[in-house]
Amino acid sequence: MMAIDPSLLLQNIVNGVFTGLLYSLVALGLALIFGVMDIINFAHGDFVMVGAYLTFVLATTFMIDPSLTAFITMPIFFVFGIVIYKLIIERVLGAEPLIQIAVTVGLLMVLRNLALMIFHAEPKGVPFTMFTQPITLGPITIASSRLVAGIVSLVALGLVHMLLTRTKWGIAMRATADDREVAELMGINVKRVYAVTFGLGTSLTALAAALIMTFSRADPYLGLLYGLLSWVIVAMGGLGGVIGVLASGLIIGIIEALGITIVGAGARELFIYLTFFFILWFRPRGLFGKR
Amino acid sequence: MPGVLAKKLALTKERLYGLIGLAIVLALVPVFLGFNFYYVLLATNVMLAASLVAAWNIIGGYAGQLDLAASAYMALGAVVTGHLLASYGLTPWIGMFLGAGLAVTVAVLVGYPTFRFGIKEVWYALLTSALVVILMRIYYLIYGSFETYIPHMEPEWLYLSFRRYEVYYYLLAAMVVIIIWINLKIKSSKLGYYLAAIREDELAAEALGIDVRRYKLYALMIYAALAGIIGGIYITLTGILSYRLFDPWLGIVTAVMGIVGGLGSIEGAVLAAVILRSLEEYLRGAIGATYPGSHLLVYGLILIIVGVLKPEGLASLIRYVKNKLFYRKREEVK
Amino acid sequence: MPQPILRVEDVVKRFGGIIAVNHMSMEVYKNEILGLIGPNGAGKTTLFNCITGVYKPEEGRIIFQNEDITGLPPHVIIQKGIARTWQKVRPFKKLTVLEAVTVGALLRIPDVDEARETAKEILEFIGIDKSRWNRLGSEITLIEHKLVDLARALATRPKLILLDEVAAGLRPHEMDELAKVLLKVREEYKLTLIVVEHVMRFVMGLSERIVVMHEGKKIAEGRPEEVANNPRVVEAYLGTKPL
Ligand SMILES: Nc1ncnc2c1ncn2[C@@H]1O[C@H](COP(=O)(O)OP(=O)(O)OP(=O)(O)O)[C@@H](O)[C@H]1O
Ligand SMILES: [Mg+2]
Repeated sequence: MMAIDPSLLLQNIVNGVFTGLLYSLVALGLALIFGVMDIINFAHGDFVMVGAYLTFVLATTFMIDPSLTAFITMPIFFVFGIVIYKLIIERVLGAEPLIQIAVTVGLLMVLRNLALMIFHAEPKGVPFTMFTQPITLGPITIASSRLVAGIVSLVALGLVHMLLTRTKWGIAMRATADDREVAELMGINVKRVYAVTFGLGTSLTALAAALIMTFSRADPYLGLLYGLLSWVIVAMGGLGGVIGVLASGLIIGIIEALGITIVGAGARELFIYLTFFFILWFRPRGLFGKR
Repeated sequence: MPGVLAKKLALTKERLYGLIGLAIVLALVPVFLGFNFYYVLLATNVMLAASLVAAWNIIGGYAGQLDLAASAYMALGAVVTGHLLASYGLTPWIGMFLGAGLAVTVAVLVGYPTFRFGIKEVWYALLTSALVVILMRIYYLIYGSFETYIPHMEPEWLYLSFRRYEVYYYLLAAMVVIIIWINLKIKSSKLGYYLAAIREDELAAEALGIDVRRYKLYALMIYAALAGIIGGIYITLTGILSYRLFDPWLGIVTAVMGIVGGLGSIEGAVLAAVILRSLEEYLRGAIGATYPGSHLLVYGLILIIVGVLKPEGLASLIRYVKNKLFYRKREEVK
Repeated sequence: MPQPILRVEDVVKRFGGIIAVNHMSMEVYKNEILGLIGPNGAGKTTLFNCITGVYKPEEGRIIFQNEDITGLPPHVIIQKGIARTWQKVRPFKKLTVLEAVTVGALLRIPDVDEARETAKEILEFIGIDKSRWNRLGSEITLIEHKLVDLARALATRPKLILLDEVAAGLRPHEMDELAKVLLKVREEYKLTLIVVEHVMRFVMGLSERIVVMHEGKKIAEGRPEEVANNPRVVEAYLGTKPL
């Protein structure tokens, strides 16, 4: 290997941190759904994909910044999540993992190909955003869109953390995650908690999608990358709550940055998935998790 | 006489007749299609899917491991066969076995620690899906986005370099029959019983003396070898070597067809592959051009419906039809 | 006394803060039926799990036929000749009764057809009705499953078998039947049995010797009537439920 330019390395690591924050946000919804409901959702990445297209449509129709569409897409996605829950997920609660995977792969196929039918294969980007200026801090330059995406993600993670620890709904969710039967005995309406959890988890992907659209484009195959990535983070973060997800997302972001620096952009996914292998092999219960 | 043969092949008479019947039907398909170039190609694609799903059934259906890496093992067989053919003129008849050898090696390298650390269910599924991407990226680092074309070579039989699709069709149809036979043979053997026990309850299986990791690894190796050979045949058909052979999506679709077929039922798995793949080709022809992706959308809907309403899959339907056709007393012991 | 077939020496198994088995020692003699009793949570199942290799004890040794088997995996331990049944049933839902028992028989008989024949013999011996042999694991009752579990374990031709609450849920006359079957099984297969059971009438009647566990420790052992009158045993049970 060639010698690595330290300033380039630093630059890439900073990029990795901000990307990692966004990854944490992408994975957060999945971690909630898997943690609270024990549902294996293979379509999570495709929720992000649908969110990206919805952002594209709203932003270009109303000529607003893609990041601002989150105020509209998040509530829409909350409802969308509850509808999906009622139509499909509720029927496979507690079913064998294989069945859950099959059903959510079916959902993924529907969503992906719906996107393909409506928008065709060429990626769709929003041509305007307020975050175009790069920001320079000493030796480091960062795209403002990335900076904003990272900061907003961090704030969202913080808010969800507060929701889980401080509010009645959050406590009900955590109790359900701990032990469904005990939660039921405590008078928690578990089915309702599930619906809300699925809605919340889904609406978080809409926020992530809006942020992604400030620097990237929507394409029908986005789901695979973000889906696998989210599962990698959940595998690492275990069910260690928001903190676990945040730490794992950051690690993945930094590993990705190191891979790009050392081997090149082609090695990006390679490094993430190799890490995934080793995490699963040696820490089957997640680095920061309990289960 | 057929009784003796059935014993030799370790199949019940009923199964042997079924297999022979299937072979005859498959042999006649190109005739019914009037040896139409395009239709035979479609039928070849259907056979490709059916053989891959039949191979998958060993790890997915019998051993109950949700493996999503069928395309990885197939691609390994394909790239080994293809590169040896394109660069050194090695006949694919040898190349496909070397390819299968590499597929088995990778399967062991990945499978050993994976089973050793007790990785199951979602995590196994994700890990195998990630394996496809990893192999794709490694191939990409070596060969780049570059596509290598295998030229036409004579003699045709030695290099499997035919200008018509019929031969490929028959090769893959033969693979379908052979792999179904292997499935049936496994099912009625000690390995089959052990895999079924592992699928149902690993701890109970282990407490009855089954070395769970070892038997899972056996299943994985057989499946990887078969997928590798299928890949070796496939590459002589397409002749294009590319990183795109490592297709995570194909790995998922293969498992999906096996699941729709009903886990552990080889008849169901192959039938599902044939129906879904034919349907896909039909829909692609009928509406796919106007609405790209619509055929896969229908696919997804079927999967949701099967999963939500009939998690037993097509196998339960087959069982139902069978019971109607040959009604036998259930209580009777064979 | 004949020589011990199994020796449990000072075994400790913890789960986080809980000490499920706490310096437990006992001996089991060849061909005897040993009753292992104790209130809920005493550590009986955990001890079984340590003996059969499901858990690896943190301390202590388990000696089977003069061989240290501590920490060996379950599939090796059954090879040595220790089989078990499960308190919480673990059926093979999509296998028939006959197939499930055949899986057990395949341990010693590699040929499937022969293993199947052996499985049939055992099912007959245990007294499971022929009409049930082709039922799937998901179709049989819990009680039936307990018997299938026993048949599955017997099919591996063990020398020692650990029964974890096989009689639970049976009606009194069924329990008497089961006791007869177990005695018959012992004769036929030259077996040693450890029987965990809460139904006192059943264990006390069946066992020649009783070991009492409480809070992970052995608190008493002896002939059934001795143990029943032991004040420590009475006290241990009074804390939970009457004898
Ligand atoms: N896997 C486990 N994880 C954590 N704690 C456990 C586990 N298994 C058992 N325990 C605990 O160890 C103690 C002993 O349990 P065990 O099941 O061995 O008792 P037992 O004597 O079989 O009781 P019972 O008669 O109710 O079956 C209990 O406090 C139980 O909660
Ligand atoms: Mg117990």
